[in-house]
Amino acid sequence: MKIKLTSVMVDDQDKALAFYTTILGFAKKTEIPMGEHKWLTVVSAEEQDGVELLLEPLGFAPAQTYQKALFDAGIPLTMFHINDVDKEYERLMKLGVTFSMPPTQMGPAKLAVLDDTCGNHIQIVQIL
Amino acid sequence: MHNEKLVSLKSMTFYTETVAKISRDWYPKDHIVQQVIKAKQFIDRHFADPIDLDAMALEAFYSKFHFIRCFKALYGRTPHQHLISVRMEAAKHFLETDARIADICYRVGFESVTSFTSLFKKMTSVTPAVYRDRKKAIFKN
Repeated sequence: MKIKLTSVMVDDQDKALAFYTTILGFAKKTEIPMGEHKWLTVVSAEEQDGVELLLEPLGFAPAQTYQKALFDAGIPLTMFHINDVDKEYERLMKLGVTFSMPPTQMGPAKLAVLDDTCGNHIQIVQIL
Repeated sequence: MHNEKLVSLKSMTFYTETVAKISRDWYPKDHIVQQVIKAKQFIDRHFADPIDLDAMALEAFYSKFHFIRCFKALYGRTPHQHLISVRMEAAKHFLETDARIADICYRVGFESVTSFTSLFKKMTSVTPAVYRDRKKAIFKN
């Protein structure tokens, strides 16, 4: 059994694709039309054969409730690994990304939490 | 300094409060955390050299057992396990080049091709040669 895919729930797949590729720097991997929505995945540009991230449409109402509850509490839906959180924070701030938590050290990790504009907080983490 | 910035945020969320609480309750001895981070970053920089973990431990801590305990508490693995893992990641990177497997083995700090191959297989479930072939096949397609 292998972990090949994980997902984030997004309120708008096209908007999400733009944010995750243009702003965060991921690369589009797969796009398969499926009626109202599509099977849409991105990968890290540094690991294009790595784990895929599914930009999953919020077609199920309770999922919206769950997403909102996490967002209101500031809890990140998922996290991405980064080599230099301070540098990435500065880069993303210049691009207009908003953060609910600036770079913050917690033991051997440095964390920051950003708003992905699709209903989620996303944590970026650097292992010091 | 960043933690001060966090505390000064006007509207802290449940999550930022939780992070602040974990920092306060779980990592109260900041000087020890900083020493362990320094040791880990030394491993990250010098993984290809013959690193003497005992010497490193004695330099910063009273005993190597105390060092190993602190390191594992922070990173979830021993300094030796971390060193092996960093060397393996570097080996994977070099396996995407045309370098000879034996050369890669020595270049990332291992002293024996046999132990390198067997450790590589244990950690990735394939030999370095198979790993290289699979990578080539992925990028060919």
